[in-house]
Amino acid sequence: MFFKQVRLNAARNRKGNGLFFGSLVISIIAFYTLLSLDKQDVMRFLGSIESDAVRKLMTLIPLVYVVSLFFVFFLVYFACKYQTDSRRREFGMYLMLGMKRGRLFFMLFCETLWSGLVSLLIGLPVALFLTEGISLVTAKLIGFGIIGHTISFSADAILWAVCGFVIVQLLSMLIICIPIGNAEPAKLLNSAASEKQALTSARKSTAFFIFGILLLLTAYYFGLSEPSGTNMSTYYLSILALLVAGVLGTFLLYRGLGSLIGKLISRKSQKVAGLATFTGRQVQENVLYQHKSLAVSSLLLLIALSCISYGIAVGIGRTTGSRTTDFSVIGTETDVATALKLPEIEEMVETSYPVHLSRTKTKFDTGNMIGALKKILKADNIVQNFHTEYVLSETSYNRLMSAMGKEPIDLSGNKSALYSTMGSNLGDFYNLLNKALKSSVTVGVNGETYSLLPKLYYDNIVADRSITLYTALIVPDELYQKLAKDTEPFCWNIHLKKSLTDKLGLMQATQKMGGYLAKAGFKYDSYLGSIGRNLFYTVATSYLTIYLGILFLLISNTVVGLKYLIQQRRNKHRYITLLMLGADTEDLCRSAKKQIQMFFTLVLSVAVCNSIIAIFTMFTNLTRLPPAVTSMTTTLAAIALSAFVITEIIYISIVKRTACREIRMLEVTDRG
Amino acid sequence: MNTNNRILQVDGLTKIYGKDNNKTEALRGISFDVLEGEFLGIMGASGSGKTTLLNCIATMIKPSSGKVVLRGKDISTFTGSGLANYRGKKIGYLFQEFELLDNLTARENITLPLALHGITGKNAENDIRQIASKLDIAEVLNKFPSQMSGGQKQRVAAARALILNPSIVLADEPTGALDNKNSKILMDKLCAISDEDHKTIMMVTHDANAASYCSRILFIQDGRLFHELRRNMATETSASFYKRIVTVMAQLGGGSANVL
Repeated sequence: MFFKQVRLNAARNRKGNGLFFGSLVISIIAFYTLLSLDKQDVMRFLGSIESDAVRKLMTLIPLVYVVSLFFVFFLVYFACKYQTDSRRREFGMYLMLGMKRGRLFFMLFCETLWSGLVSLLIGLPVALFLTEGISLVTAKLIGFGIIGHTISFSADAILWAVCGFVIVQLLSMLIICIPIGNAEPAKLLNSAASEKQALTSARKSTAFFIFGILLLLTAYYFGLSEPSGTNMSTYYLSILALLVAGVLGTFLLYRGLGSLIGKLISRKSQKVAGLATFTGRQVQENVLYQHKSLAVSSLLLLIALSCISYGIAVGIGRTTGSRTTDFSVIGTETDVATALKLPEIEEMVETSYPVHLSRTKTKFDTGNMIGALKKILKADNIVQNFHTEYVLSETSYNRLMSAMGKEPIDLSGNKSALYSTMGSNLGDFYNLLNKALKSSVTVGVNGETYSLLPKLYYDNIVADRSITLYTALIVPDELYQKLAKDTEPFCWNIHLKKSLTDKLGLMQATQKMGGYLAKAGFKYDSYLGSIGRNLFYTVATSYLTIYLGILFLLISNTVVGLKYLIQQRRNKHRYITLLMLGADTEDLCRSAKKQIQMFFTLVLSVAVCNSIIAIFTMFTNLTRLPPAVTSMTTTLAAIALSAFVITEIIYISIVKRTACREIRMLEVTDRG
Repeated sequence: MNTNNRILQVDGLTKIYGKDNNKTEALRGISFDVLEGEFLGIMGASGSGKTTLLNCIATMIKPSSGKVVLRGKDISTFTGSGLANYRGKKIGYLFQEFELLDNLTARENITLPLALHGITGKNAENDIRQIASKLDIAEVLNKFPSQMSGGQKQRVAAARALILNPSIVLADEPTGALDNKNSKILMDKLCAISDEDHKTIMMVTHDANAASYCSRILFIQDGRLFHELRRNMATETSASFYKRIVTVMAQLGGGSANVL
């Protein structure tokens, strides 16, 4: 009988409160997604090449997990509070019917566990599905293909997700149950009483509001102004001042806002008809009593927006470049040639060639190039630093070109080409050099003049992306022999067979070939290994910041939504009185919708204003993004903004629907 | 009885709660009329059906059978906006627990029924001032309920019930949550409004003191009309009417055989 009651109550809770149940499911998904990170394709691959870094990241995961637990606790706490608040009368009744407090607690805990079990049964498959999706999409985005994909099921992650979820749920219920246990049955039975409207000193509130605005403006000033000087302590002090002013300003702004809304209503209340005054007063009351929650939610939203923007920017802006060669092997010509004849290696290789790249002692006459650069605006920096110390043979570069399926270059007739691996990723650098080359530039080599091809060449000549060449001259082979300090090949490039990479996926094919090369005793760099290093930090940063951002976004929205719904339920007698006074149910629903819209707008407007400044500050003064990102700012902003707007629309409509459903359920006979 | 100024007609009203074996008959065919300007009291023991009767007239609950006709219109035919219009404009309701919206000032509470019917407070400023002065609440108009005494709250609630000049004011134990002093102030004010403005008031009460302000009292027992007392307003003092009320109340416990 008891357990049947528990099951029925839990089912009623789930049915009647989608937000409550949704919050539980979200928390499970959040935990599992984070904890199963090490089973994701990208992380497994990165682990195979950057095991130390991955291990460091994995030691960081428990910390992020604890932070998540802390924040998800609030999500679950508010969801459970909303749920139990609406049942206080029922609890009072149980106590009056002779149920012992201990049994009441036991019943609530059983209900919590039962709801938890159902949430787990729904949340875990969703989480598994989601992490699989993330794993596949990330692998696809990075170019690993899906052939090497393995299911990212993690038993440990499930275990920890369940533990975290149960702890958070039980702790929330414990905190909620203590005041219920201490309350007299009469208090529980008459729990509908709303808080009394207290008049706060208008002068004090206005002072809070103005002071809040001033503090926010101060924070904005610190954020927007360029950091002056190189003194690090001044820099950190200004960041600290920015944070303190921003946080304090937000709290004070909301602290003073309620009274300001009240003033506005008092001025207008005699001029408006319908439920406008009631709507305004409801919003004012919510702000007066919830100003701390509003400030916290607004700040959480700010963190969410900043995290998501940063995560997306870092994720998209990673400098992978195009795939030029799969392996660059260091070794003597004979050794490499022998190894390439090994049957297991030979069957995997499409083409291989030596890369002739070397420093040169020859001083090039770059006067003509510098002259051309001087004519271009904003090229001062390049003019001052321009130098060329490397040469690259025409054949090596053309072999690379043909392997990539690109047109080879022709340097016959005293021609040369300018090469730089800082090329396309550096935006301005690439554009300025390219522009200068268009004006028929020449370079002097040992008294002879070579005309430069009218384009900058930038395709990576070796697999290792960390090797960057400021500039090099691509010269005909005979000239290379004369100029090169060392005529031995710098390395050997190997391209894998397309049929093989199609069959195994680039990731597996690379791993297989790497194994053979290592076995043969070669030092080598692979395309994936090289971008892996590059990628690791960006993927890890991007993944974790987006994860935390989404979590904060969901938590802040749920808190705002639940705070409103709790307040509405507490004040349901007002709606009944309004019905008695002749208000239409649909009028009340419209008023509730307006209240929700205004309530959310109050949180969102401050959060968005703060976020714009915060994101700008973050990307200009605090951290530098890869240059490629700057050109994508608009796209990034559009992606982040649309995701944010969609999330808000979904949340606001869920809260509106719940609020209206509760109003429609009210009857004028519900009084008392 | 002059039926020309009959404002409310209750005809064969029954209300049954529950079904089959669990049926409870709260009202068993009550019929009476209320005349314009009358201050009618409804009295009876707990569970006698007096609040159910008031709630049926206020459209808070639907009667099982019978008719309630206000100014010639059967209120059971009202739905949607007609019902909202009836609740706001045709009747004013005074609750035992005041039911003021505690986040609105007294003025905003009073103008709420106006606002709900598209009238701004500014346009009704004269009415507000008049009614506030009659009920002696002018000085609390800009205060919130939490800053008022119980008596002031109930008078603000009365102002709210009267602001739209309804055909009838229904009061459910209006003195139930007030002390003697505030009960007397409220009843004096309601009585004055009934006399001077010829306002019809129908009040459910347990309190013989409050009932002694009425011009007529209907006693209900077990869902039926049990007795009726009329006060001769010209000759009878409220003190002697009070004695008659108390006598009837004493008889209510002992059954109809003892009624004088």
